[in-house]
Parts: sequence; structure tokens; C-alpha cells
Amino acid sequence: MAQLIKIKVNGVDRKVEVKDNELLLDMIRDKVGVKSVKAGCWRGECGLCTVLLDEKPVKSCLVLAVEADGRDVKTAEGLAPEGQLSPLQKFFVEKGAMQCGFCTPSFVLTSHYLLSVNPNPSESEVREYLSGHICRCGTYKQMLEAVLEYARERAQLKR
Amino acid sequence: MSFGSAYLTLPDFQYVKPKSLQDALQLLDEHKDQAKVFAGGVGLFAFMKERLVEPRYVVDIKAISELQTLSDNESKGLTIGATVTMNQLLEFRPLKERYTALRDCISLLSDPVLRNRSTLLGDVCEALPYVDGPTPLLIFDAEIEAASVKGRRRIPIEEFIKGVAEIALEPNEIAVAVHLKPPPEHSKTLFLKQTSSSEFSIVNMAALCANPSRAETRTVRFAYGAIAPTPARVRDVEQVFRRKAPVSQLIDEAVDVIKKAADPMTDVLAKAEYRSHILEVLAIKAFRKLLGS
Repeated sequence: MAQLIKIKVNGVDRKVEVKDNELLLDMIRDKVGVKSVKAGCWRGECGLCTVLLDEKPVKSCLVLAVEADGRDVKTAEGLAPEGQLSPLQKFFVEKGAMQCGFCTPSFVLTSHYLLSVNPNPSESEVREYLSGHICRCGTYKQMLEAVLEYARERAQLKR
Repeated sequence: MSFGSAYLTLPDFQYVKPKSLQDALQLLDEHKDQAKVFAGGVGLFAFMKERLVEPRYVVDIKAISELQTLSDNESKGLTIGATVTMNQLLEFRPLKERYTALRDCISLLSDPVLRNRSTLLGDVCEALPYVDGPTPLLIFDAEIEAASVKGRRRIPIEEFIKGVAEIALEPNEIAVAVHLKPPPEHSKTLFLKQTSSSEFSIVNMAALCANPSRAETRTVRFAYGAIAPTPARVRDVEQVFRRKAPVSQLIDEAVDVIKKAADPMTDVLAKAEYRSHILEVLAIKAFRKLLGS
């Protein structure tokens, strides 16, 4: 069975025809054309397919496309205007928090969410929160620094 | 981006999202095994991608408001609806204050992103040996509330999990909620586990203790999971701790009772000998912490 769903992806309203058994991951990549959402393990272990569904991170390989009907999907592309980087993304660049870059969008998204609900996380809270993501290049240390330093700097600016 | 392999895609099915429990129950009654209940999908989709389960209908129960119940009452205890996510549970204050073992169990499950989707009842209904969720439920005398078109019934958690991936639900029933009894006053509870390198539990346990200092009024409960095909409450331990004897001696006796009752298994994750050793180490740690010796 196929049906037409309405979703907002990175602020843009779209109508997409999806099959009942289609994964949100496949729809985002193949029909919406957003390629920062990566397919890794397809079973919820690696975290690379993470998107923000109504602002909360979910692993899109375990979400049906039809479930996103009427909802808001955000990916790394949606964190800053076209051609620009969000402050958090800049810290990832500055700290060299990537090597091959395959997993980076997912780490950025989940960190973005963490900082929105917990603006000053401890190191262990960041570690815990990112534990559902895998980086085969092993840039965990740099990612941890990027998130913590961004949080610190943002707190100082607010003071 | 599908490679056509069974591993990556879901088999064909019809997606249904009923707005009322009655509609969902009608669907299940009509289609029985051909319909699968879907909340978080973490377990179900894994099975479907492997083609171990190929339902004709996937029934999404997330639009049914009564399944989103999450409440705690001083005398009645805690009620958790079928679609309450693990993260909602972690944010629920009474869980931290009165049901620490359940809270600790959930905080160690999978990861924070998956916990936005996974549900406690999903974990329980999966009923695989390495699943952690049922173990803390055992020490709170939990009951699973099942509904069908014919009515409702409550099944004690001890009778709910009957074997590996085998539960007491009929094909036309939905597990709508789990009810936990309030723990005895001033009791402390905890949850401990040891996982294999693949992060599946090979031993888990939940324990409760109230009035640790006086033998006559002391209440101790203990349950284990992941050691044998099904989790269990070890009720013989409860009598051991009612006796007057040095606590360290009681703990040794209790551990012997538990090891005999559990009869650790060998499987792909761990050998029986290793499970038995870890069980001993963790049980001693748990009792020392709760009884303060």
C-alpha cells in the first residue's frame, strides 16, 4: 500500500508518496534527497541514521516513513541556514572532531538535542548521551571536547 | 538505498493506526497472528528485517490515549501504559524515589536515543533471555494487564514469561499496561547486571530490602534474569534473611540458595560456569549494599 504523507523537512513542507513498509531512513535519503542521514547497521545500533523527529532524536532505520506524517524532521542540514554552520558545528570543525565524516552529522544532531535540554552537561552526561553512536575513526575524544567547550563558551557569553 | 537483502528492508505489510483501543482489539481479534502490535518497533523491526516475523498488519498503538498512562499512587502503586517510552520513565520522578531498581535498569538499557522509542512493555513482551526489563518488575510484584475484545485480565509477571520468546498473551490480546505494587515503606531497591562484549546481559538481578537491622521485620526480595531461559524471583531467599544470624553468614547462605535456584545456562553469550561466578559476585555486592555489611 502506498499513501501520500505531509512532512516538514528542515523547515520545508513536502508531500511524499511512501509505502507502508518504507523506513524513514530510506524516504529521507531517496525521496527527499537528504544525504547526511547515513545508513550503517539498519538495526538501531550505530546511530548514523539519527534524525530529529519533532525535535527529539530517533534512529530512522527503526521508524516507519508513515509515522512521520504531519511531523517535523530535522537533519544536520537544518541546523543553520544554507551555506552556513551552526555554532556547535563550528566547534566540531575547530576541534577536528571528525576524520572520514560519515558519522559526524548524527553526532552533531544528538549533541544539539542534548544541549537543548541540558545546556551544561558534565563529561559523563555527554558520553552517556552519545553512547548510541559509533565512530569507526575513533574521534570520540575530539567530539566530547567540541560539545563541552561549546557549552562552556555559550554559558560564558550568556553571563 | 535498499540493497534488496532481507536484512535491510521490512517485508510488505499494511500499516494501521487505530485511534481507540476497541478498534485495535477488533483488528487483533480478526487477524490474530497475522497482526502485530507496534509501539517502539525496536524489537519487532529487528525480527521483521530477519524475516522471522512477517505480519500482514502492523498495528501502531501510539494514537491510543489510554495506553500513554503513567501514574503512581501511594497505595495502588505504579501504572505504566504500553506506549510510555523508556525516556519518559526516566523523567518520571516517582521512579527515582520509590522504584530505584527499575530506574537503574532502564538507565543502563541500550542508549538514550533508542530510549526515545523503546518501551518497557515491548521489552517484556520480547521475552528473550537477555532482556533486562522483567527482572526489576519481579521484585515489585508486577502484573501485566491484558485486554481483548472479551475483556481484561491481569497476569502476574512470574506467569507472564513462559519460555524463550514465549508469553502468556493470546494472539487477540494486547498488553495494555504493567502495574507495580508499592514497595514496603523505607525499602531500598537496586539493579545490577553484567553484559557480554556485545552488550547483551549475561546476568542481571534486582533486589529489595526493608528494615535491614532487625531480623524479625527484615524484608528481602531477589530476582534474576539472563542467567536461565526465563527470569525468576527466588522466594526461598526471603526466608533466609528472616533468621537471626550474622548478616555475612546469611548472605553466604542466600547466594547458595540463588545459585541452586537459577541453574545457570550455557549459550552463545557465556558459559554456565562464568554466569554462576558473576551471579555470586553481583549477588554478594547487592546484598552487602542493601543490608549494609
